[in-house]
Amino acid sequence: MLVFDQLRKQDTQLRLVAVALAGGFCILLAGLWYVQIFSSKRFSESLEDQAVRTVRIPAVRGKILDRNRQPLAENRPTYNVELYLAELGRHFQAEYQRIRPANARLTRVERERLEWTARYQVVSNITAQVGEWLQQPRVIDQRLFQRHYNEVRALPISILQNLNATQVARFAERPGVFPGLELEIQPLRVYPQTSLAAHVLGALRRDDSSQEEEDAFYHYRLPDWKGITGIEGIYDVQLRGAAGTKSMTVNRLGYRQQETVLRAPEPGDNLILTLDLKLQQAVERALHTPMFGAQTRGAAVVLDVQTGDVLAMASAPSFEPERFMGRIKDEDWAALNDPVQRPLLNRATQENYHPGSILKMLTGLAALEMEAIDPRAVFNVEADPTRPGRGCIHVGSRKIEDTAPPGPYNFKKALVHSSNAYFIHHGLKPGVLQKMIMLGEKFHLGERTGILPRQETAGEFPGQDDLVRHWQSGDTANLCIGQGKVSTSPLQMAVMTAAIANGGRVFWPRLLMRLEPADPQSTERAAEQPPRLRDDLGVKSENLRLVREAMLADVEEQGGTGREAAVPGLKIGGKTGTAEVERAGKMVDKTTWFASFAPVDQPKWAVVVMVESGASGGKTCAPVARKIYEALVKREREPGPKGAALALNN
Amino acid sequence: MLARPNIDEKPARIDWVLVCALLGLMVLGAMFIHSARYATESGAGVPWFKQYHFKQIIYYAMGLGAMAAMCVIPYQTLVRWSYVAYWGSILLLVLVLIPHIGAMRFGARRWIDLGVFQLQPSEIAKIAFILALGNFLARPLDELKLPVIFWRALGMLGLPFAFIFVEPDLGSALVLIPTGFVMMFVAGIPANYLRRFLGGAALIVVLILVDVLFAPPNWRFKLEDYQRRRLLVYFGMDAKHFAPPDATAAELQKARIQERNDSYNVEQALISVGSGGLTGKGWRQGTQNVLGYLPRAVAHNDFIFSVLAEESGFVGSVVVLSLYAVVLFAGIRIAGQARDRLGKMMAAGVVTLLFSHMFINIGMNIRLMPVTGVPLPLLSYGGTSVICTLVAAGLLQNIYLHRRSY
Repeated sequence: MLVFDQLRKQDTQLRLVAVALAGGFCILLAGLWYVQIFSSKRFSESLEDQAVRTVRIPAVRGKILDRNRQPLAENRPTYNVELYLAELGRHFQAEYQRIRPANARLTRVERERLEWTARYQVVSNITAQVGEWLQQPRVIDQRLFQRHYNEVRALPISILQNLNATQVARFAERPGVFPGLELEIQPLRVYPQTSLAAHVLGALRRDDSSQEEEDAFYHYRLPDWKGITGIEGIYDVQLRGAAGTKSMTVNRLGYRQQETVLRAPEPGDNLILTLDLKLQQAVERALHTPMFGAQTRGAAVVLDVQTGDVLAMASAPSFEPERFMGRIKDEDWAALNDPVQRPLLNRATQENYHPGSILKMLTGLAALEMEAIDPRAVFNVEADPTRPGRGCIHVGSRKIEDTAPPGPYNFKKALVHSSNAYFIHHGLKPGVLQKMIMLGEKFHLGERTGILPRQETAGEFPGQDDLVRHWQSGDTANLCIGQGKVSTSPLQMAVMTAAIANGGRVFWPRLLMRLEPADPQSTERAAEQPPRLRDDLGVKSENLRLVREAMLADVEEQGGTGREAAVPGLKIGGKTGTAEVERAGKMVDKTTWFASFAPVDQPKWAVVVMVESGASGGKTCAPVARKIYEALVKREREPGPKGAALALNN
Repeated sequence: MLARPNIDEKPARIDWVLVCALLGLMVLGAMFIHSARYATESGAGVPWFKQYHFKQIIYYAMGLGAMAAMCVIPYQTLVRWSYVAYWGSILLLVLVLIPHIGAMRFGARRWIDLGVFQLQPSEIAKIAFILALGNFLARPLDELKLPVIFWRALGMLGLPFAFIFVEPDLGSALVLIPTGFVMMFVAGIPANYLRRFLGGAALIVVLILVDVLFAPPNWRFKLEDYQRRRLLVYFGMDAKHFAPPDATAAELQKARIQERNDSYNVEQALISVGSGGLTGKGWRQGTQNVLGYLPRAVAHNDFIFSVLAEESGFVGSVVVLSLYAVVLFAGIRIAGQARDRLGKMMAAGVVTLLFSHMFINIGMNIRLMPVTGVPLPLLSYGGTSVICTLVAAGLLQNIYLHRRSY
């Protein structure tokens, strides 16, 4: 070797150094060979991964349909004008040259600022021109644009959203006039019935994040939505389907070069609810009582007593789920959070109230079961000395007032006139309290019905352990008339009424009937959600019949509190209730109720209406129920599939 | 070992092979610094005279001037000033540690900001150290056998080493060790001294490494956090070693992210080099560098080799290695031809210094070595490094020029 020859023969040190050097070179050479030749392929592959950006494409969200397949929530294509920045590079340059002061020496900062100005001017000019052309003026926010340019340059910037048909046509008339513009179609969630069943359907929130079992890493994400409340929230996983992935090759300036769809998104399942759209409409209309109109705060539930299907569930006031998709205006937000109106609150499930007199159904049933009541025996209600024409009862040293007049009462008359004294007297008889608590357990009062998880309250009902501690006869008296330590949601009351109507079967209220794949050709089977029985009361049917008959009398007989609910040709059994809302020992508000079922001979429906701050159950809620029954009768007469018939096929 | 009497009358000439190889490296350096900075600079519209490759060319010119200047005075005369240079560089190394004088960048004080120029005292110290140690060891061979000389030589090595180590600049400190020892070895310090010392030192280093990597936290040798992490990354240790033993899940997660960030540069450098393949992607076509996967802050200096290897492939890498081989073996040849032991020692020192830089830097690009901020001579962007490398090359030329004069 040339070098070695020139080294003096005896210079061992230098020779050693030279050998060490040569060794070092060999190591590097071997290393480079290993990396660049031997494993080059592996590194090229990892390189390819890098120049490619992945984009998450959300799947089309499943529809929510009523039991007759009428859409409650569906998707509409929206036409958006999008601007691809990649195609504007030339325009950015030209604009920069135009606004750049001639011959001036610019610092880096000034130059950068000018460049931003140039880019923004180009984009906002195009936006303005297109806006004018489509008669939808739009100004693009400078900060938004900067962020978009810095972060997601490869994605188009959306400049006009939601074009109508005319605008689409106008846009299509002039292809290629403006650089970089494209018309994109994106599915948008729409609620064709606006606020109908809003509390059941729930709302969506913008959320582009990956769901479980999805690829977690994406460079960019297209806008996606996530259900947060209601059905949209509970069945979000099923509704949203599986997002797809497309890959974009990005050139060295970060702009898009080409696109390939790696995995197409799989649309979400359609949900078939037990709701009946027309009935729901009628219920919501009915709930606007003459007393309060649109200001009504209340709820109504219609159950199919034979299956537990929720045919309609309404809460007033309501809201429009679509509002949640965009940015909510401050005043709208304030209205949505009004401390009194609370439109977001589902009063049918999410709030609980003292049931008041409608709990007398339970009290009566318990007393009948314990044979504490002989239905024909007469009990004399004493007169209240301070309130002429009104009865009262003394429990211990306490006097409990009655709205019903004094005099002789049998079971039916007591229920018809809603006599507190009668039910308290019999409720205090031995064993009745125990039975009431047992029945409460069977009705699953104080427990959630599971219909809308996280949007439901359990309510309150005394249990066995409550009796051990500090329980006094006054508490029993309160319980007998649905006051004190008992509170329920309208839905719970509907389940209870349905069980009394159907002979003692307590159902899990069913809202979802079927989950079916979006593609009808799909091999995937629709997932039926059959009705589920939760409990059986195990009471004598004779006693149930007695309660039902008394309830029928409440609506049909002269002097019944539920007269206002009567519908000619339909035998309705009902019970009114007016519960007192007490705060610090004083009555501050009233909750009015009407719990009912029909037809009495062959019960099909349970209807429970609750209105906050109403006059009384009979005056405020019974008329609402009447309108609902009218709608039910009309629905019955109309041709086409009936809810009950369909449900029985399940 | 006295040189033969010189009867050759031919005028002394500089070593043109060495110069050509250096020029070749400079051309590649300018080209690939341009490539590394291209995406950033063309995007921002930096004027040509402010672009990095142009500045690097200026440094090359200044370095070539310095190289020529180095040849004017015979090295025997030059080394009379070596102690001045040595203590001067030590002074600079002290100064750089003082806040307000030394500029803090990336958590280290390595630069003195002179406005137009960022002076890196450690680079100067390397040259000064070679001169001073050469001067010190250029004494009769018998004296070199005395332990006290060996210990004093070690002291000369230890002083700049310690100052550079605390900057902290582990890489620059480390290259002093082979340089010093090769010089001592070539000078004729008994090999068993060196063997024993190096054996002992190696043992200590291994112990420290084991301590850093495996010991419980309060038993650990104090290293800068980032240095420890780099070592862990190099040895492919799991993230849990980054976190304290009683770390919560969140802390562990943070450590994992930290690990990913730490290994990021190395991973990306490896992908760059590896994806170059046999012939590379072509000048300025490297996607790794242009798209910014290879971090832009380091692409033009510590990781310039990745850019070069990606764009010119294995062929380019071999060309670079060959150019360095020409430079270094020319240096060895010059050492062999040197008139005296002083010249031989210094030439060997320069060769070892350049080789260590090259080996550590390229090695770190292909994950043979842990990441340390050692520039690749002449290819990495940086004024001080370029000028000092060329000054060192000038020293080689000086030794070559005066190989026959007395």
